[in-house]
Amino acid sequence: MNEIQEFLTLVVTAMVPYILVAQGTMLGGRVGVFNVSQEGMMTLGASVGFLVSLGTGSNLVGLVAAAGAGGVFGLVLGYMTTRLRLDQFVVGLALFFAAVGLATLLYKVVIGVTLQPPLIATLTDVRIPLLADIPVLGPVLFAQDLMVYFAFALSGFLYWLLYRTNTGLRLRSVGENPKAADSLGVDVSRARLLAATAGSMLMALGGAYLPMVYTGTFTEGIASGRGWLAIALAFFGGWRPQFILAGAAFFAGMEVLALRVQVAGVGVPHQFVSMLPYVATLLVMMFAFRWARVPAFLGRNYDRESRTAS
Amino acid sequence: MTSIAIRAPRGLPALGRLLPYVLAVLAAFAVAGIAILAMGHDPLLAYRSILTTSFKTPFGFVETMHKWVPLVLQAVAFTIPLTAGKYNIGGEGQLLVGATGATAVGILLSDLPMAALLPLLIVTGTVVGGVWAGVAAWLMHRFGINEILSTVLLNFVSFGVVDYIASEVWSDPAAGHPSTIPIGDGGLLPLLGRPPMHTGVILAAVVVGVAIVWMRRSVGGYELRAVGANARAAQVHGIRVGRVAVGALVIGGAVAGLSGAIEVAGVHGKLLEGMQSNYLLLGIIIGLIARGNILAVPFVAFGIAVLEVGASAMQRSAGVPSEMVLIVEALILVFVLLSDVLAARLGRARS
Repeated sequence: MNEIQEFLTLVVTAMVPYILVAQGTMLGGRVGVFNVSQEGMMTLGASVGFLVSLGTGSNLVGLVAAAGAGGVFGLVLGYMTTRLRLDQFVVGLALFFAAVGLATLLYKVVIGVTLQPPLIATLTDVRIPLLADIPVLGPVLFAQDLMVYFAFALSGFLYWLLYRTNTGLRLRSVGENPKAADSLGVDVSRARLLAATAGSMLMALGGAYLPMVYTGTFTEGIASGRGWLAIALAFFGGWRPQFILAGAAFFAGMEVLALRVQVAGVGVPHQFVSMLPYVATLLVMMFAFRWARVPAFLGRNYDRESRTAS
Repeated sequence: MTSIAIRAPRGLPALGRLLPYVLAVLAAFAVAGIAILAMGHDPLLAYRSILTTSFKTPFGFVETMHKWVPLVLQAVAFTIPLTAGKYNIGGEGQLLVGATGATAVGILLSDLPMAALLPLLIVTGTVVGGVWAGVAAWLMHRFGINEILSTVLLNFVSFGVVDYIASEVWSDPAAGHPSTIPIGDGGLLPLLGRPPMHTGVILAAVVVGVAIVWMRRSVGGYELRAVGANARAAQVHGIRVGRVAVGALVIGGAVAGLSGAIEVAGVHGKLLEGMQSNYLLLGIIIGLIARGNILAVPFVAFGIAVLEVGASAMQRSAGVPSEMVLIVEALILVFVLLSDVLAARLGRARS
């Protein structure tokens, strides 16, 4: 029983980056902006989050700064793909390695090359009174750090925003049929700009979480593919916040399982176990793509003056 | 989802097409120079060491050419599928499995003479790279998985493969870093000149030449461009769009696999963890700066190789971290993209 509880607690923690980054991807995708710079945003968020936390001594300030850095990149993505109508994948890839370069550069400029990298304090767990006393479920869900609560609350908020409000209806219409949305008075460019910015902020937050719970410091490969996996998760969750939240449990479960099996050793070389999250993702994608409903204008720019309907 | 969006505006004379590149490079260096100044270093000293390292000494030039090989091949591996509108982000995985295949041949058949072993090793690496990309292409074609995802996720699988081979199967415990024992001498690429340059440089140049001719002068290359320009129109005209896209990814993977085999046979002489360096990123940026134009790829790759080799010299002489070069490269790409927008606006204003 204790072992299961411990495993689930780790899974819930591991879910946080997947939730944040995949919801950020989904938010942009629902208005038609297919961001592919997740891995870069996460690396940059990890670097900025770590450095600012180290400098100010406050993880909260670090998280805010990381989100700000991601927001700047998201704004650039939004501007270049809406106002300038440059190809979304090209701009996304350019931002991806600009962010990776900037992340490493910042770390080198501030910290330099050291044998013993400085460490920041990890996030503290906050017990929610009463709820945390529920057996098994309590410690797993209600005695976690604040970012866990934020990630779950965010998923609920996005569901409410997209499916229960007028704004959400407008946002979704931009991703499905921007011309129709435009003719009804929705500002397509503005919706895309805002969603791309907010989405990138979430991605950077997901990256900043990594040094604050796992490593305590920044390394270049800290995202280790989570950004790309989060794109897969957005597809897997059918670009809907509620299913992304559920799917994050699967992705995080694979990650924790791979680590656990590596430590325990089961006769399989640990290198093969480390492939598990990526292979499992490819396997589930084989089936997910059949039912996943993709926004019709995902990855396509909108030109008001273009005469073709789609 | 078309690749046309990055192509330069048509109808400009050659000089007019080169001008935006020159301006983009100058603008990138100017912006990065301000950043270097803000960091408290001397930008002119930094740039002098970046730009002259490759040409000051024969060693620098040979190092640059050795760097050019994986960069140009990775860029070709990205550009060929891009022409058909597909993004191959799996170049480093294809490089690593290609290197693994080449190393396996080089170790298992280490007694063979060079005339047999070297070609076998190169071909194996190429084929394995193509098969690896073929898995991603199959997932894309059969199950509709976005090719960015299917190619990139296989990179992480390949890391495990290399780690397993290098630390369990043919591990060299003396190396102090996951690495295999050396391959047979017959598997090493011959060296030329002084200081010695490995002949993989010639091989890469030939492959790039063949790729250019194939892309621009053959039916296959035409189909590739037709699918990339307008998949629906290509289909109407009887081109099998799915097959072309799969073929483009497989060929791209084969070229990336070749780059892995050359790294083994020309540079390391064994399989080494981390040998993929950041060639994937650089290959993508080269392909995008070249705007998917295969003719421009070898030249852009050479420029990036100069920057990369100069980066460590810059760190030594001017104290600027070598990662600054990555920022310069990203800025060049951004300015090249912006120059298109500017050119389009100017063109519209004139007419």
